[in-house]
Amino acid sequence: MEKLLEILEELEPDVDFENCENLVDGRYLDSLTILSLISEIEDAFDVQIPTVEIVPANFNSAKKIWALIERLQEED
Amino acid sequence: MSYFNVLYAFVALPILVALYNIVPKKIRPILLLLASYAFFFSYSKFLIVFVMLSSLSIYLAGRKMSSLESKKKEKLEGLEKEEKKAVKETYQKNKRNVLVFTIIFNAFFLFIFKYLGFFVKNTNHLVSFFGGNNFLPIIKLAAPIGISFYTLQAISYLVDIYREKIEAEKKLLKVMLYLSFFPTVVEGPITRYGDIKDTIYEGTRVTYQNFCFGYQRILFGFFKKMVIADRLNIFVKIIFTDYMSYSGPAIFLGAIFYTILLYMEFSGTMDVVIGSAEMFGITLPENFRQPFFSKNISEFWSRWHISLGQWFKDYIFYPVSLSKPVKKLTTGIKKTFGNRVSSLTMGGIALFAVWSLNGLWHGAGYQYLFFGYYHFTLILLGNIFEPWIVAFCTKAHINRKSIPYRIFQTVKTCILVFIGELFFRADGLRAGFSMMKRILTDFQFHHIGREIASLGLDIKDYIVLAIALLFVLGISILRERRIPIREKISKKPLVLRWTLYYVLIFAILIFGAYGKGYVPVAPIYADF
Amino acid sequence: MKNALKSILFMGIFFLLLIGTSYWLLPQEAVYHYGIIKTAHYDILGEEKDTIDVVVVGDSLIYSAVSPMEIWHEYGFTVFDSATQGQLIRDSFKHVQVAVESQHPKMILLEANVLYRDAKNKPWSYDYEEWFKMYNPYQGYHNNWKRRLLTMFQNEDDFTNINVFKGFKYITDSEPTTKTNYMKKSKKKKKIPEENQRYFQQIVKYCKDNNVKLVVISTPSMKVWNYAKHNGIEKFVSSYGIDYVDFNLDDTIDIDWNTETRDQGDHLNYKGAIKFSHALGAYLKKTDLVVDHRSDSAYQSWNEGYRIYQKSLK
Repeated sequence: MEKLLEILEELEPDVDFENCENLVDGRYLDSLTILSLISEIEDAFDVQIPTVEIVPANFNSAKKIWALIERLQEED
Repeated sequence: MSYFNVLYAFVALPILVALYNIVPKKIRPILLLLASYAFFFSYSKFLIVFVMLSSLSIYLAGRKMSSLESKKKEKLEGLEKEEKKAVKETYQKNKRNVLVFTIIFNAFFLFIFKYLGFFVKNTNHLVSFFGGNNFLPIIKLAAPIGISFYTLQAISYLVDIYREKIEAEKKLLKVMLYLSFFPTVVEGPITRYGDIKDTIYEGTRVTYQNFCFGYQRILFGFFKKMVIADRLNIFVKIIFTDYMSYSGPAIFLGAIFYTILLYMEFSGTMDVVIGSAEMFGITLPENFRQPFFSKNISEFWSRWHISLGQWFKDYIFYPVSLSKPVKKLTTGIKKTFGNRVSSLTMGGIALFAVWSLNGLWHGAGYQYLFFGYYHFTLILLGNIFEPWIVAFCTKAHINRKSIPYRIFQTVKTCILVFIGELFFRADGLRAGFSMMKRILTDFQFHHIGREIASLGLDIKDYIVLAIALLFVLGISILRERRIPIREKISKKPLVLRWTLYYVLIFAILIFGAYGKGYVPVAPIYADF
Repeated sequence: MKNALKSILFMGIFFLLLIGTSYWLLPQEAVYHYGIIKTAHYDILGEEKDTIDVVVVGDSLIYSAVSPMEIWHEYGFTVFDSATQGQLIRDSFKHVQVAVESQHPKMILLEANVLYRDAKNKPWSYDYEEWFKMYNPYQGYHNNWKRRLLTMFQNEDDFTNINVFKGFKYITDSEPTTKTNYMKKSKKKKKIPEENQRYFQQIVKYCKDNNVKLVVISTPSMKVWNYAKHNGIEKFVSSYGIDYVDFNLDDTIDIDWNTETRDQGDHLNYKGAIKFSHALGAYLKKTDLVVDHRSDSAYQSWNEGYRIYQKSLK
């Protein structure tokens, strides 16, 4: 989680990631930023994020993103 | 029968509502399907077979994919890990074949109806370089109504099954209704099976409240279209056909008016569409979210024709940018230039694909392709330069959250959009460029008063337009603040409420630009 | 139940308001004489009583080709187009009746093409749509708000009151045709549908009873007209002793089908209409049935109308 927050803050320094619940719907993360994010996550946590999982519900908060990462790690 | 036909909104629709409430719950989806097919037939006559074919093909493909999936599960039981992988791969491959084949099948019709003419013209052009003349015969085909919309829905249905996001539907009837549902079939919004399947087949009674809410929305749509769009059309038509006779500022005003017209026409249609569906308890996704309040072009596209943008995002943008070849390409870049550059490249490639298709989707013509690449360039540049802009603002002590800066951003975005729509509406690319050239080189403001007066609208028309636009703006601001307008109104006393409705109705009847001397805007998106 | 009552009440108030605002928007004198619905439906009722000498009844060919104000300017005849899109002859009969009742014209010109339009080819919804239009009194008049608002403040009856187009539709679009020589002589004769024949008989009788001269005319149209139709009409109409003038055969009009049609030879555009109106005026003059009103003080609204008409042509 710490690592994820670090990545997020580096991408968008202005956003309060710990509390924000509508990262995608509130347009804090646009699609190109999500691409960077995915690429960072894939490197940092050694997971593959399939296209199906790229939905607002999975990316709207740091917690949700973390949950996604954990789920993908388990599935592997 | 267009959505703005009185016969649709105030005769056919109430009759359907009455019938819907009379028949038993189980019959209701069938009634909706019959109504949808009748509606489709009224536009495209026997071309209706194509929407039936599409429905049948995706239904069968869906069943096939789901049976492959269950067979796979059966086989997997009690296998070793290594064998499992092999089995998974074969089934995945079979599923993919079904998917690809059905998508091609559906896209083929789309190509034939929409792009064959364009293709033939360009091939002939190419061949003529080598001395050939009219190499291929030019055929003009009338396309089934809404083919651009329902084909995208068909593809989303297939891909969602393939991705196991939804289960394949067991009943053919339901798939048929999904593709041809009468409110959405002509101009969208492009719905996803998973989003509407629960409500569309539910068959809940039309309640008094839904009925009233539906009609409120429909009336608002009529207002936008008949009072604003059809009136602006007079001005816009003259400017775009005879642009050589007008000054730069007048042409730019024409571009602004066209953009407003397009918004009022399309979002007005969506109001009628969403209002119609709402009566039957079906919530359709919104297609517009106050697009002119956007800070940049990328945000604009998440507020304008949302369902199309979302479709491209889910089925083109992410799959392309995360596809193996693109990833392979960008890992190299990543090592040397870092993550930002690599994901920009990745996104750039995918964006390019998205906007090529987006341009083509709007029609077979170079001005549409140009329109696509124009927005592609703006979005990409916006992303590339963002860090510098941020740095510049911090250095110059500009607060990027301050109101003046926000206004600056919004105005800038609107101007960029106006320019894009100018090319979109212009009669071919060449006309678009000469109009643009006039705007940039001809600053003769002293004619503007006379020109505005000579473009078919008089001072009273401009007053009506101003009041109507302020009214729509007011509603947009309320929506932006997430204030539930209709719920608020329904709590007001009856006299006040009814007065409001009557004012709206009679504003349309009296100030609507219809009847003699007016040419209503043809449904713009129905042709895409 | 409560909701049903509420809906009925809502609709009731709606219709009351509709009637009320109609009085505000429609020409009041005509409403007083003919009622809202009729006034709204027949433009000619907005004209002052017994001022029109020639009424041209027919379909879109008429309102695209005959511009009464051009004829007024050149010859001083008062002509009015009582034409509607895709008119059926049964409607033409009604237009003739209304015209005679309100204007007692000297002549009625009937476009021959309506004799060939078969009611069977109309979509099933046609009657309902027509009915619906009938009951929207605003159709032709809602734009009068402009004038009403103005007169409310200025308290003067300005001349924007006048229907300056007199039923003509001003369209400048131009789309050339690729056809040539559409009036090739032939012996063929196209049959007129039985039902239309009956309506025509009624029109003939009605005009005779009211002492109005009826003439059947064909306006230039490359797409719609041909020699077989010409022969069919000529034979049929002459059996009733009615004159038939086919302007498609009048070479002096000299329509340029490259620039003077708005839709590939189907309808004339404004340029074509100028030429045709000139020819029609010349024909009317020859009949000696109509007189020049230009210097008649009772017809000054027409002169004023012409001025506004000229201004509205852009």
